[in-house]
Amino acid sequence: MTDKQKHLLSLGLVLIMIGLSIVMIFPIEKSAKLGLDLRGGLQVTYEAKDSPEVKVTEERMQQAEFVLNQRVNALGVAEPEIQREGARNIVVQLPGVKDPEGAKRLLGKPAVLQFAIVQDAYAAINDMAVLNKQKSEGKPVLGPVELTGDKINSAEATFGGQIGAQPIVNMTFNDEGAVRFGQITANNVNKRLAIVLDDKIITAPNIEGAIPDGKAIIEGIDSIDEAKEIAIVLNSGSIPVELDILEYRRVGATLGSEALREGVIAGIVGFMLVAIYLLFYYQGLGLITWLGISAYAILVWGVVAAMGQFYGWTLTLPGIAGLIISIGIAADSKIIIFERVKEEMREGKTFRTAVDSGFWHGFRTSLDADLVTMLVMFVLFFVGVSQIRGFALALIVGLTLDIVIMLLFTRSSLGLLAQIWPIKSPKLLVRVGKVRQNA
Amino acid sequence: MLKFDFIGKKNIWFGISAAIIVLSLVGMLVIGFNYSIDFKGGSSSEVRFKKAVSVEDVRSVLKEQGLGDSKIQPIENILGTDVGALSSTTKGTMMLLRTTELSTDQETAVFKALDTKFGISDRQTMTVDASWGALITERAIYAFVAALVLLLIFITVRYEFKMSVAAILALFHDIIITAGVYVLVGREVNPNMIAALITILGYSLYDTIVVFHRIKENSPNIVRTTYSAMANKSINQVLMRSINTSLTTLLPIIAILLFGGETLKDFAFALMVGTIAGTYSSIFFASPLFVVWKEAEPYYRNLKNKYGKEAIARASTS
Repeated sequence: MTDKQKHLLSLGLVLIMIGLSIVMIFPIEKSAKLGLDLRGGLQVTYEAKDSPEVKVTEERMQQAEFVLNQRVNALGVAEPEIQREGARNIVVQLPGVKDPEGAKRLLGKPAVLQFAIVQDAYAAINDMAVLNKQKSEGKPVLGPVELTGDKINSAEATFGGQIGAQPIVNMTFNDEGAVRFGQITANNVNKRLAIVLDDKIITAPNIEGAIPDGKAIIEGIDSIDEAKEIAIVLNSGSIPVELDILEYRRVGATLGSEALREGVIAGIVGFMLVAIYLLFYYQGLGLITWLGISAYAILVWGVVAAMGQFYGWTLTLPGIAGLIISIGIAADSKIIIFERVKEEMREGKTFRTAVDSGFWHGFRTSLDADLVTMLVMFVLFFVGVSQIRGFALALIVGLTLDIVIMLLFTRSSLGLLAQIWPIKSPKLLVRVGKVRQNA
Repeated sequence: MLKFDFIGKKNIWFGISAAIIVLSLVGMLVIGFNYSIDFKGGSSSEVRFKKAVSVEDVRSVLKEQGLGDSKIQPIENILGTDVGALSSTTKGTMMLLRTTELSTDQETAVFKALDTKFGISDRQTMTVDASWGALITERAIYAFVAALVLLLIFITVRYEFKMSVAAILALFHDIIITAGVYVLVGREVNPNMIAALITILGYSLYDTIVVFHRIKENSPNIVRTTYSAMANKSINQVLMRSINTSLTTLLPIIAILLFGGETLKDFAFALMVGTIAGTYSSIFFASPLFVVWKEAEPYYRNLKNKYGKEAIARASTS
């Protein structure tokens, strides 16, 4: 295969890649999966803490992650993301969630449900607030825990009570729970059974008689929304470790889309500035560079779109920043190659020979410089926290494509140009920078 | 071709670097960093009101909620005003509220109160636990150390050990100066800025690699001259591309700084300072440092003794 054929082949390859990218990009509104900082939503980073009774273990973390998943699913958010980060952190992302505060409250609930008998000395107190106050003061309000929420099969929020207008939660025990519940109620007739959720007594009805059918009702709930929340957390099970909120971010949809627009504007301006500078500085060759970075921009966009569609990669604000500054890197590599070609022509080589040796010399320099940055970005990707990883990944994509473009596009277009337009003087290639033939 | 004596005047450049580094370090010690809530714990909210409000208006509502000590400051997008229809109306309607760590209930109450009184069109809130900063710092230190070790290995393998040490020292130079400038202009240190600092590790090496690549290429052909003279010639040979690449690197960063919105500005600022410092250090710090060390090798010391005067004379006549 002649050089010319090789160049045409790789240019064809670039064209195919550009074509594929354009297919990925359209429709533009859906071209990238946007992170919640660009479309609004909620992000919570939890950290599991050791408590005197419960230590953080891998098994408990997995259980916690599972429970969070269940609760998020119950919320009905379109594209939730729940990720473990390190040994103790769980990041929950809910883009576009309608009620962030409610979601945050719901997610973080340990949801430990306990049944216990109210001790006789306190049985006369009917006000739950008073009972809870006594309990929090450390008084022996309740007997030992008789039954826990993990024996519940299902819970459902509905209206009930005497006039049927009171929010309640219906619970059904599993077989083991039903037997146990039957025993407790049989043994404690005319005592009060406290239903305790996360250390708070919600209700404490009097046991009228044995309940053998494994069904129980939580009453005394303020609103139907709260009843729904309780039902969700009971269905999803309890979180077996103490989760603290380490970082919490709530972004409104308007501000998010504004951040996106600002990012896009910054990107377009950045691209234009670089393009204008290159055209000014390298005139003839600048056009190749210009085509090069345009191809680069389309490919980057295409890859971002493809990663969003196939791997669920979301584009965040730091990711956009990474893509924008990678435009500069893409221009750098072309500058290094052109300067090298220019230099070799100054030494008296023809354009054709200068392109042949100059490209590879310049390429090796740019490759090293790209690899150095890529190395650091890999470190940042593996060690960094959530948002920063998006930035690192964006730059890695950018740098990889820069190397691809150098090899497939810059090399071939320079090579072809040298064959069809054998210019002798470097003056035609550059405007700025005095050229002395005898230097 | 441009001719400039970079290596010969090394003491001047070292002096300039030393002065800026000392200034930076003094600034860090005396003024100290302005840490964001990520390191102290707390809540920070950007609130867009439906109509213009004053800081006092907002404070009076926060006071009712027991948050009278909060920092309240208006946000104005200076250049963003020309760009979009939405941004042009932000004047006086955007506020940044920094409060103590808000619980879910507190948050709901505060913004409900503000909404009833002034009308909120949108907001974003971030709440962080004080230990978040510790986590970030820990990860940042890991990343720093890992990146430096990898770079040291990479440059040693591709170039040589002395070059890699000089390059790493230049990185410290750039990072210290960037942090120093941050302190001096009073910008807030947040996780984005730290990520930018780590990015500078790779980014500011770009120029250094370009220069070192040329020195490496020229070093087998030292004929009747000194290592210094060869290195100086190398720097001159790649000077234009070094300036050009720095400019094209800076252009998109400046675009982010001007148009990219609040979050990215910190990031772009750190990158900008780091890139400028990196351009300077690759020519005026890393290269002379490497050459001084290299010329301590007996072979090159001999060359220097033999051709030193000649090389200086040639440099001054051409």
